Amino acid sequence: MKLFIGIISVVSFFLITSFKNFPTKKTAEKTVMDFSLKNTDGKFISLKDYPNAKGFMIVFTCNHCPFAKLYPPRLNALNEEFAPLGVPLIAISSTDTIQYEADGYLHMVEKSKNENFNFPYLYDGTQKVAKQFKADKTPHAYLIWRENNKWVIKYNGAIDDNGAEAEKVKNAYLSMAVETLLKGHNPQVTETKSIGCQIHFRK
Amino acid sequence: MNKLYSIKYFVLCSAFSSFSYLARGQTVPEILKFKKLAAIIAKTDDTTRVFNFFASWCMPCIKELPEFESLAQEKKHEKVKIIYVSLDFINSYQESLIPLMNKLALTQKVYLLNESDPNKWINEIDKNWSGSIPATLIVNHQKKRYKFIPNSISKATLKKYLP
Repeated sequence: MKLFIGIISVVSFFLITSFKNFPTKKTAEKTVMDFSLKNTDGKFISLKDYPNAKGFMIVFTCNHCPFAKLYPPRLNALNEEFAPLGVPLIAISSTDTIQYEADGYLHMVEKSKNENFNFPYLYDGTQKVAKQFKADKTPHAYLIWRENNKWVIKYNGAIDDNGAEAEKVKNAYLSMAVETLLKGHNPQVTETKSIGCQIHFRK
Repeated sequence: MNKLYSIKYFVLCSAFSSFSYLARGQTVPEILKFKKLAAIIAKTDDTTRVFNFFASWCMPCIKELPEFESLAQEKKHEKVKIIYVSLDFINSYQESLIPLMNKLALTQKVYLLNESDPNKWINEIDKNWSGSIPATLIVNHQKKRYKFIPNSISKATLKKYLP
């Protein structure tokens, strides 16, 4: 009889846990592959260069877009806050540099210096990384997290809810997502909408 | 008598100047909240409305504005209305949007959407819109038309979507 109850409880335990897992499996999280892109200091950077990183804030941005231009101080602040906790920020420019000369590599070097970027600013000249992430505008933020040696997208969308006026931000979506993950939970908001300059993909 | 003449002169002058002002295009956008824009989108009369979401800081948007102007001229005797919805920043539109409106002499209505958080309204336009601009919405509820294009668009393609 004891054995019977034992079997029942083991079976129901598995049933309950499998049911519990069902919804998360349904909304399958996307993973991204590592990449290697040239930084403004001339060195190539990959995610594997950060063996201790728990995750990354990846922000697709560029030089020319006025909406993206509103964010450099906020990007510096995000990196300053979360890089020491194992979640550094990496900015990537994937704009079509034929259409936007201002986004050329040398201009990126200049911008990175002028705005004192405390994070890498990588040049995605082939636009492959943007395509992999499905980034479609600048700025477009992603939070990826290390899980079983894979990089899982935990959040994508806006950095926060007020581009024009940083002091009026009510929801700092990206940093809220990082904080939640650092506490060991998945963020409740996994995707937000944001206005931005379309990344024009060369055909 | 003299006074009356000067009043007449004044009225004539102001009428003339407002007429030439209209012909040149408007010089200020009408600032609105999404609630009001939603009410315009929801109108059920027999007019097809083409809403073009743009900003003065968006280069591909500026490039396609003449396409909309040209369509407006071509369709001015039909029940088609072009409506520009600017997503310019409320704290800088006077230095950016207004000069652009003057430079391009936009003849159609320009609204400036005064909403800071796009998550409050983007899904109401189209669930699949990520927020990149330019984007265009073509609506005619009587003809059951609601077409959203989250990309640049040419006049020729626009015409295909008109009822």
